[in-house]
Amino acid sequence: MKRLHHLGLLAVLLLLSMGTWAQQTITGTVRGDQGEALVGVSILVRGSGSGTVTDLDGFYSLTVQEGDVLVYSYTGYGSVTRTVNPGETVIDVTMQAGAQLNEVVVTALGLSRERKALGYAVEEIDNEEIIRSQQNNLVNALQGQVAGVQISSAGGGPGQASRIIIRGVNSLDPGANNEPLFVVDGIPVSNETLTVGGGGSRNVSNRIADLNPQDIESMTVLKGGPATALYGLRAANGAIVITTKRGQAGRLSVDLTSTYGTEEVNKFPETQKTYTQGFGGVYDPNSFWPSWGPTVAEARDTAAARGLPRPNDLFNNFENAYVRGDQWRNTISVSGGNEKATFRTSISRLDHEGVLPFSTYENTSFRINANYVASEKFNFGGGVNYIRSGGNRVNADRFNERLVYWAPQADVQDYIREDGSMIGYRNNGTVGNNPVYGEATNKFIDDVDRYIGNLNFNYSPFPDLSINYTIGLDQYSDFRNNFGQGSVFQGAPNFEDNLSNGNGFVTETRIRRRDVTSNLNAIYSRTLTPDLNLRLLAGFDAFDSSYDRVTTTGNDLDIFNLFSLNNAADIRTSSALVDRRLLGLYGDLSLSYLDAVYLSVTGRNDWSSTLPQANRSFFYPSVSLGVVLGELMQLPDGLSFVKLRASYAGIGKDTDPYRTNVVYDPASGFPINNVTGWTRDDQQGAPDLKPERTNTIEFGTDLRFFSNRLSLDATYYNAKSVDQIIPVPVSNATGFSTFVLNAGSMRNQGVELLLKGTPVVTDDFSWEVNLNYTRNRNEVLEIFEGVEDILIGTSFGYAGSSAAIRLIEGQPYGNIYGRSYARFGADEDDLFLERGAPLLIGEDGFPVIETTPKILGNTQPDWFGALINTVTYRGLSLSFQFDTRQGVQKYNQQGNFFSAFGTAPYTLNRNETIVFDGVLADGTPNTTPVFLGQGVGPDGVDYGAGYYRNRYRGSTENFVEDADWFRLRNLSLRYQLPTTLLETVFVQSASIALTGNNLWLSTPYSGFDPEGNRGNGNGDDGFGGFTYPSVRSFFVTLNVGF
Amino acid sequence: MNPITHQPQLYLLALLFLVLLTGCGADYLDVNENPNAATRPPLDGLLASTSSRTALNQFSVSNGHTANFVQYLASPNQGNTDDIYLEVTSGGAWSDLYDTMTDIYDLIRFGEEDGLARHVAIAKVLMAVNLGLVVDNWGAAPYSDAFTGETLRPTYDSAEDLYTTIFRLLDEADAELPAAEDAPPFRAGSDFIYDGDLDAWQRAVSTLRARYLNHLSETGRYDPAAVLAAVDAGFSDFSQDAAVTSFTVRNPWAQVAENNANLLLGGWLSEQFVDALNGTTFGVKDPRLPLLTNRNVDSLFVGTVNGAGRRGDGTEVLESYLVLEGALSREDSPLDIITFAELKFIEAEAALASGDQERAETAFTAGVTASMQEIGVDSAAIANYLNEAYGTDDVDRDDVFREKYVALFLSPETWVDARRYDYAYKDFSLAVNAALPTFPLRVRYPATETDRNAANVPDVTMTDPIFWDQ
Repeated sequence: MKRLHHLGLLAVLLLLSMGTWAQQTITGTVRGDQGEALVGVSILVRGSGSGTVTDLDGFYSLTVQEGDVLVYSYTGYGSVTRTVNPGETVIDVTMQAGAQLNEVVVTALGLSRERKALGYAVEEIDNEEIIRSQQNNLVNALQGQVAGVQISSAGGGPGQASRIIIRGVNSLDPGANNEPLFVVDGIPVSNETLTVGGGGSRNVSNRIADLNPQDIESMTVLKGGPATALYGLRAANGAIVITTKRGQAGRLSVDLTSTYGTEEVNKFPETQKTYTQGFGGVYDPNSFWPSWGPTVAEARDTAAARGLPRPNDLFNNFENAYVRGDQWRNTISVSGGNEKATFRTSISRLDHEGVLPFSTYENTSFRINANYVASEKFNFGGGVNYIRSGGNRVNADRFNERLVYWAPQADVQDYIREDGSMIGYRNNGTVGNNPVYGEATNKFIDDVDRYIGNLNFNYSPFPDLSINYTIGLDQYSDFRNNFGQGSVFQGAPNFEDNLSNGNGFVTETRIRRRDVTSNLNAIYSRTLTPDLNLRLLAGFDAFDSSYDRVTTTGNDLDIFNLFSLNNAADIRTSSALVDRRLLGLYGDLSLSYLDAVYLSVTGRNDWSSTLPQANRSFFYPSVSLGVVLGELMQLPDGLSFVKLRASYAGIGKDTDPYRTNVVYDPASGFPINNVTGWTRDDQQGAPDLKPERTNTIEFGTDLRFFSNRLSLDATYYNAKSVDQIIPVPVSNATGFSTFVLNAGSMRNQGVELLLKGTPVVTDDFSWEVNLNYTRNRNEVLEIFEGVEDILIGTSFGYAGSSAAIRLIEGQPYGNIYGRSYARFGADEDDLFLERGAPLLIGEDGFPVIETTPKILGNTQPDWFGALINTVTYRGLSLSFQFDTRQGVQKYNQQGNFFSAFGTAPYTLNRNETIVFDGVLADGTPNTTPVFLGQGVGPDGVDYGAGYYRNRYRGSTENFVEDADWFRLRNLSLRYQLPTTLLETVFVQSASIALTGNNLWLSTPYSGFDPEGNRGNGNGDDGFGGFTYPSVRSFFVTLNVGF
Repeated sequence: MNPITHQPQLYLLALLFLVLLTGCGADYLDVNENPNAATRPPLDGLLASTSSRTALNQFSVSNGHTANFVQYLASPNQGNTDDIYLEVTSGGAWSDLYDTMTDIYDLIRFGEEDGLARHVAIAKVLMAVNLGLVVDNWGAAPYSDAFTGETLRPTYDSAEDLYTTIFRLLDEADAELPAAEDAPPFRAGSDFIYDGDLDAWQRAVSTLRARYLNHLSETGRYDPAAVLAAVDAGFSDFSQDAAVTSFTVRNPWAQVAENNANLLLGGWLSEQFVDALNGTTFGVKDPRLPLLTNRNVDSLFVGTVNGAGRRGDGTEVLESYLVLEGALSREDSPLDIITFAELKFIEAEAALASGDQERAETAFTAGVTASMQEIGVDSAAIANYLNEAYGTDDVDRDDVFREKYVALFLSPETWVDARRYDYAYKDFSLAVNAALPTFPLRVRYPATETDRNAANVPDVTMTDPIFWDQ
């Protein structure tokens, strides 16, 4: 640490010894090539963090120093640079639509760089693209927009978590966080999805969902390695750099946006509607079995004679159980300021009710951003965002599972009696868990209060030097209340989850997370010779995170519906404290030559509290090179721009806290009789852990044709993660179940293509096409010797058909293992199921189950991509986005249950006698006819519970389905009222937009929309079925500016 | 611009810089000590968890497989793998046993360092009990290379060596217990078995020694006299049973009963056990049966056939289950580790082996009586049962195994008996759809061993006998 002190002092001395240069104020107007004023053009002083944006008249004002280079950038217009000449006070700029040559993008640490100067791929989406899909969760707004970025959600629940993975999963550790770092206005913020306190099967939010998309100016995706090297280890999985909207000097403007949305389930599974309640083909309204009875007609024929009421028609209880959801979001923002001070403040409220009954989410957000130019040399600013969010998070897993058990002859929406007790589906409604009643009486409500604040100081003692300091706080409390209602009277029908530990329960979880970040850096830019520019950056950052949780459960409620811990007979508590601290020292040396060759070398040293003292300091470098060929040579006709880029980065990575020693925990199940028990922790920490490292190389090119009307950006990357820190499963006889070790390596390599074109552009009309394509290939290179595989996750299936995701050496991430029908002549040692080989049929005439798990599919797509079209005619703009994901499989747990309970349409053949196509063990063709139904068949043989229960449901193969899809992700029509219309009123601007999401879906998958996953953890993307279904939604948005 | 006027701002900045860097002393990063856990555990707490779990492990092993193998219980599901001996590994019980033995290892290690002789002596008895379950169910197992965390793949000790270890642990405990009176006491309630009563522990050591010596009945090392000598120093009354009566919520068998009542099915009595007590097999109705389970809708005691699964569709009570009113499955029923009744049957078996019929008769009667008294059968009913079932016939080995089978209902010890007795219980047959042609003689090593310790794990099948089973 001493070295740090010295460096810091040196930097301070350096600062103190520097002088100042003269300043001046520049004003001007920015217009498009049609002469129209461009609103919101970003103007940045190159090499510093300062800048402004144009107002509604395209006017701007900026304090600069002579010799400063101003970079004007505007989406769709590229960027233009101007150098401030001595004495100059007015700079008017005209920008060309479609010109993207000198586009400025935000890079690591929020530094604006010219896109052409970068040696790695960066993609940025702006506010318009963010809000186009009306997604309340900012992560979902990235769906299909950026190559290399895969968004997966746990379904369409209000406020539901989404997961973002950039360039593939790069950790073998099943518990690892593989998501990128989120940075808002220079400070890293939490995007964790905490499932503690009963939130595991509930659709809790990822914390970025707290942010109001209306407040966001832009999101930049830094995809890894070279792009994020300056951010350090926390950005080892990439980074999403979010810039919020700022105030602009000029008149006070008020902006009102109001959105109403309505939604419905976009895809239901098919169910059979022929067979009713009972078993073995015998009708029984008291049967547990929802659909193994006779047909409804047969049941009616016999019911009267047996003294039973007339059997009902069958409901499709999947369609019946779900309702229409709706939402309102209103945002008001006020912004303005003068040359010295600017501000923007907004307040927003979202109320969302989902398609699954009782699922709700509310979000209230208040934000203020302010900046003050104290002098020519010193400016500062800051922002505060307060958010309150949460709602009733339903248990979609249990809900959907219970729907399978529920007999379709009963109406699941008829769920509660006048006395408040549950109506079941059998024994006159006294028995059988009603999932709707379950959601009505068993709730999980989270209540988050979050503060995100940042303060920035910028000081430029002289024009070449800019010193920036940012301090940030991200703090939230999350009060979670999970409760189940006791029975309304002794013996009243009640939902079983309410009774699992006595009569009703309350679980309260209190979480406080506090992340403090501090980042100081200095940038020195200098033109060394007219051809050679230098930029030097050095900085220091610190990160301090603390987590504090207390969970208290009270079981056995005295008053059945008083959900207070005071009302519980048996109280149990657990708590956890976690601290993590990081320090980093970083530097970046960038050189540009002839505006054609750009070289950047970075180095960073991190110190992490989570690693052993001896290994907690680690250094890693990156180097990137960009060459703009057009500046060095004459390009062929038709080719307007060619850039080649190459980069390398090694990024170190620490581990989770408390993995370096052996500890003893209070034993579970204690205290008993007020005595506490202790036990050795199952995980052995390693006192000699060393940091992980990911080495990435990246090559890319940016080609533009026909005066930039067509462009192609192609990237190849290869990232190898070595020395991965994994809890390696070991023999229990070691005294532990896992040892934490540096124990494996994995590679991701892939291609990202981005094709942009403007096929038509006239004064009034334009058509833009944007196509992106991503292909990632993963390989597990090495796992600690003696460890057969690493289990990432499992999903239950009946009769041994559970699916598991395992990693083994030489195979990609995400292979789904499970049982299958045995294949004749298949190689026993083959890891994969030989689908082409004939089925092996047993002596009983049925397919034989292969109990050795085979690889049945993979959870990671072969490729994915999107096609985005935007057509604009005067004030009218239409955009639509098609997304696809191809070559991906998923285990459908619902499908497994559908076969076990006779719900699936294919079980309609249950009363047929067939001969299975396949061969016997001796190789001869199978000729034995078998009855598929239950009980004694036409041949006099007793078939017991029947083919579907005895055999079909026990083969995981039957439920690992292709989960590919094509979808119309988004269709949006927006009309901006012409300003001429508004001239007479006080309204400055007005627009109306109609949006539809998920309007069309094509997939071979039989369950709900396969985009919905079981949850937000590693491996959850391979499991679906009992998920919160995805939705098709429609929005109307009104925007008025005053 | 005069640079001087801006100096306050510069100082401010420099100050910020300094404040920042002062915070980054080496101490700043020293926050990786887990604040939620201890680096050295309270030894009373280790004793509490290990004494409690030693009893719970009896349940883990029994509910894991032995209750099905000896047909105390049967699954409601047809072809249940435990019922039909299909690749049974009982991985849950294995990890429970190793977790407990790990804590016992630490208790001995830290106890010796701290001179806590009471803790150490009791820990050695607990180690013997848990290790006994490991070797009697799986055979060879890691012990001398285990628990240290220093090796990823611990080597295995042979079953014979493990028996030597068990006897050594018992001998050491025997020798250390008297002196332990002088050692520092522990917090009341930390010993869930005898609450610190060292005399009781001393008797338990002898009782356990009698059990493990008796296990050698089929080997050349069997010495009935040594068994009887151990019996003499063992329990003298069923109040001295080694058992745990305090639980987190309820006795684990009561949890099985509770779950079954809530349709999480389990604890279904096997037809073999029910028929042995309801008069079907022996023509005598055992007064213990109504105290252990329920009657079905027809007011009959009906068991489930192992491997055949349930009779109906689950909507009616057609069978007998573990119930919350049952003597061994009440919320506060004792969970036995070793009992006086078991000792009496050990005594009867050894007495018969040594030709002492009279002692065998007395011990046999005492065993049955203790078993019945313990669950509340009155003396008249006991006398009546003994008379009806055995009259004045000489007690033989079959009688001993028959009654021990009933008296040790749900105990994992019965599977040792079944194998020593070659499953010769009356009317005892292989489960329906059995996956083995003969009765199982051991369970397989769990996947955690075959996957993670492949180099050391012995290659065995379920029909390879343990060394004492010949």
